[in-house]
Parts: sequence; structure tokens; C-alpha cells
Amino acid sequence: MVKKTKITFDHSKCGFAGTTDPRECRECLRVCDPAVLLLHPTLEDHPDPHNPEKWIVDAIWLSKCTGCMRCVEICPENAIEVVPGDSLAYIRST
Amino acid sequence: MCKYCLQHGDGGKWYDNARLYSNELADEYNMGEYLEEQWRGMETLFIRKILGFNSIGLGYKMQMPIIGKVLRWAVERQIHSESKNRKAIRADGHFGQVLPMEDAIHILGNLAAEPIIKNYCICRYMQRGVKDAVCINFGQLSGVIEKHTRYIPKDVKYKLDREEAIQALQEQNEKGYVASVWFQPVPYINAICSCETPECGGLRLRNDFNLETVYKGEYLIDVDIDNCQGCKSCVSMCQFSALRYLPSIDRVIVDLDKCFGCGVCRHACEHDALNLVPRESVPGQAGKY
Repeated sequence: MVKKTKITFDHSKCGFAGTTDPRECRECLRVCDPAVLLLHPTLEDHPDPHNPEKWIVDAIWLSKCTGCMRCVEICPENAIEVVPGDSLAYIRST
Repeated sequence: MCKYCLQHGDGGKWYDNARLYSNELADEYNMGEYLEEQWRGMETLFIRKILGFNSIGLGYKMQMPIIGKVLRWAVERQIHSESKNRKAIRADGHFGQVLPMEDAIHILGNLAAEPIIKNYCICRYMQRGVKDAVCINFGQLSGVIEKHTRYIPKDVKYKLDREEAIQALQEQNEKGYVASVWFQPVPYINAICSCETPECGGLRLRNDFNLETVYKGEYLIDVDIDNCQGCKSCVSMCQFSALRYLPSIDRVIVDLDKCFGCGVCRHACEHDALNLVPRESVPGQAGKY
């Protein structure tokens, strides 16, 4: 049984509705070596479809997280929680 | 990739076929409309759902018995879709191939339809928080991207003539960014990127999940045993971990199963030990993309 890594972001701290705009901060993106995290606009409607305003950070590639916890340590808002699980090895074609 | 060469290459490599870059072809397929819709949703691509699944924890999802295989099949089908009702918002039909600097320069010099622009790489921004104007887009895609002003570099010339585009591509390649050329969507070609692993969405899906978003290039690296001095400068250039230095024989070896033929390692070699050879000329790798 593979234990899945769980990563949650508190969007009331980090997010367009929170105390820090992730587009200004981006600290977690810089420290995550396997680039598990993604800064992205929400799926909600944006006033200008060509320039979305509501951005948040979420963990996307959970199976690449190796549980180093650097994101948790660096976040100025303590918005990130990580429960490390099993990271899947690279699946490469031959 | 050979199947795309056979289908769309008109006797040669798919990305050498001038017609695939043309406005005539783009209009025939109504590509402008597709691109507007695709780029409206590019940044939310990984949180959108396919068959009820988004990309969050994709690796785990694809490991699930039966469902994982169905998901993989569905995603592959969409990535390569040429059907009339493919969905632009999911970037159906958007896939590419790694190519060496020379082939990319040939495209920018002779085949890419103007206007040519360079803009911020969306993946590098979303995954690394870095604004790097390394994406070279052309044809009808230029007009589409210009409307999204956040992609356009400030205080830097972003509309390029062919010479400037070639210059930019060369600088990026020498830094170690992997050049890639893209169907967007197949059969229209309008982008040459300079990718970085693991941020590049295309390389991520291929390297980590074995989804055929990016194909290996038409070439492979050959290490000249006599010329290699064992300086190891090339090893750190390889984004695919294909090069390794062996202390026992004091030279670098290449894992041909991993080599994508991007050729950026050559920029680090001062002893002329690294050369690209056609993939077809290596019996164990011919046809393996």
C-alpha cells in the first residue's frame, strides 16, 4: 500500500483573500527542489479573462514530495502543512 | 515520433515541414479560435478535471488499479487528439519534441511564421516563481499571447526579428535550457520553448509519469572516448541525468535510454568529445521516442 503525501495550504493566510499575496512572496516555490507546488489562478470567474487576479498556491505533484519540509519552514505565514508519505520513483520509458 | 513524421512530415521530419507553420494551415483549421480558448485556461490546466480527476497527486492516481490505466489512456488520447471536437481549454492536441539548437535555429530562420515574440514561460513562473522570457512563440499564437499582458516582458524588446530570435534561442541553449518544438495543436506548429526540468509541464509529464507530452529527439549523444578528458563539465548540464562520470575509466558515459538528444551538454565540452548522431543510426534506439 502506498502512503500518499498530504500537503495543505491555508488560503486564508496565503492567497488572494489572505494576508499574503503569493505572487509577491513565492518563497515556497523557490525552495522546493522537485517543484511540487504550483502558483495558479483559481477556476472562479475573473473580471478580465486575459488577466486573472485570484492566485493561490497548491501542492500538485504530491508523489514527488520527498518530505524535506523546507516549504513548511520557509513560509512566512506558516500556511503550509505537510504529512510526508511515499514518494514514487521516477517512471521512465526506455 | 516517427508516426508524426510519416503523417505530417511530408517526406521528412514533422518539424521541417514548412506547411505546418503557415497561416494558410492555421486558417484552414481555425487555429486562432482554438489558441484563444487554450490560453484562456493554460494556467489552470493542472487543476482542471479529466474523467473527474485533476492532476493533484497524479502519480498516485495513475498507480490505482484499473482506474489508473483508464486515466492514462484518456490523458494520452487527449494529448494527441486530432479530432474536431477536441477541447482547447484542456490543450488537447498539444505535444512536442526535444530538438537540438541547430534544428531550432533552422526553424526560426526559415520556417516560423512572423510575428515572432518571446514571453515569460508560464511553467517556470507557476512552479518556480521566476519570470524568464524564454518562450519563443510565433504565427497566430503571438497575437493571442500578447493580450495576456502578464506574459510580456517589461522594458525588454519582445517582438523579435529572425536574427534576434535565433540569438535568444542560442543564449538559452548555452545556459542549458532544453529546446523543444510544439504542435499546438497538431498539426499547427507555433512554439519553441527552452525548457527546464522539473518545472516544464511537458517534461514533467513525460519524465515523472511517462505521458507522451514530449518525445525524445531525433538524435543521440555520442561520447568520443579518445577526446573525453574526464573533466565532468558536461554532467551537470544534462536535465535527463543521461551523463555520468566514471572514475574507473576516467571518462563520461551516456545512458542512451535516458538521452533525449537535446545537445546542450555539448556547450560545456571543451574537448570536442560530445557529438549528436541520428537516432536511427543507433540500432538499439532507432524508433524509440
